[in-house]
Amino acid sequence: MDIDLSPIFNNWRFLASGLLLTVVLSASTMAGAAVVGLGIGIGRSYGPKWLTVPLTFYVDSMRAIPVLVVLVWTFFAVPIVTGLALPPFWAALVALTAHIAAYVAEIVRAGIASVRPGQTRAGLALGMSRAQVVRKIVLPQAIIRMLPAFGSVLSVTIKDTAIATVIAVPELMRQSETVAAQSFRPLEVFTTTMLIFFFLLFPVTRGVDMLYRRVAHLGRS
Amino acid sequence: MNLDWSVAWQYRGMLADGVVVTILLTVLTMAISVPAGIGVMLLRQSRFPILRAIGLVYVEFFRNLPLILLVYWSFYVLPLLIDLQLSPFATGLVALCLNVTAYNSETFRAGVNSIRAGQTNAGLALGMSRWQVMRKVVLPQALRRILPVLASTWVSLFKDTSLVSVIAVGDLAHAALQVRSQTFRVLEMLTVMALIYWSLGYPQAKLVDWIHRKYGTSE
Repeated sequence: MDIDLSPIFNNWRFLASGLLLTVVLSASTMAGAAVVGLGIGIGRSYGPKWLTVPLTFYVDSMRAIPVLVVLVWTFFAVPIVTGLALPPFWAALVALTAHIAAYVAEIVRAGIASVRPGQTRAGLALGMSRAQVVRKIVLPQAIIRMLPAFGSVLSVTIKDTAIATVIAVPELMRQSETVAAQSFRPLEVFTTTMLIFFFLLFPVTRGVDMLYRRVAHLGRS
Repeated sequence: MNLDWSVAWQYRGMLADGVVVTILLTVLTMAISVPAGIGVMLLRQSRFPILRAIGLVYVEFFRNLPLILLVYWSFYVLPLLIDLQLSPFATGLVALCLNVTAYNSETFRAGVNSIRAGQTNAGLALGMSRWQVMRKVVLPQALRRILPVLASTWVSLFKDTSLVSVIAVGDLAHAALQVRSQTFRVLEMLTVMALIYWSLGYPQAKLVDWIHRKYGTSE
């Protein structure tokens, strides 16, 4: 078996642009999902019943449907329903954010539930408003406890961006497929892509572990 | 906009086959990667540094890869390496197993490590062999703690089987996308696909919540 790495060297700009888009898509999905997920999680924990029921339904539905299905639906079906066609990148961003936000919401809810109710009552007894209790007592502790789970969601997000290849977002997975198909060198190209993804993801998972060990004591109560 | 939902009923046979393949893939992957996960976990706790290193590299590598890339790799590259052409179904199964085994081994490791070392020592002091201690003392307790995590992995796996559709395994996603491109009923087929996944996955997600409540250990 002969190994020929020249397709990778000849197309390194093409692959690097894919890597850049993978990073951009992951970062913007994560940012969007953090905001939306925090909203949903707080809404589920403190909202009135007419709000918690649909939010719970939304979160559980997203946990039940594959991200591939959400992606394909957003890209192909949403334009038919709304008459508004999203370009692939934006469709992927919307679909991945909608999906990941549900996981973030679950983490936020679990984090809030992990802070003992006695602390909320103590805050209220001291004359703080509900919003103050949430903002000054519950969330600061809850967010630190959420960090490790948040870190795994970040690595899930990076991995899920690769699925955006099915709607032709030119991220790393898509670019590698193109190079592999054009050069007839799947072995070299896909193995290289594997290594790139590994070296992208490994520091993320390890970094989050380390960060968590540094800050874990701040979340104790 | 004219919609024709009868197309889903018309192709019900294809969709039903897809559901069967999806479920079969989930069950087979789990059936293989539970014992394989235990195997990798035992590697990581072995006395020999070389075996521990192999286990560690395996887990870290496959945990840090997008599954869809692994599916492509198994389809295009694996046959070149092992000189054996597998069917798409078998290829998808291999990719899913490689991935889920890594997660399972971490789950088992966490479960086993959560059993106090004193119990192992007590077993050894009573004259049991290391293997007996693992099988009769540690694993039965660890399994109970592992069950909720395995249940979550199960649901993720069920959803992840949709990714093998990219190599034309006839699973539900692939079947639905096929019907879509044959009939051009895009909205109908994609919605039906989502609804079928939802109706299969939603009860599973709820069941997992119930298992977590029943068996979950709180710190």
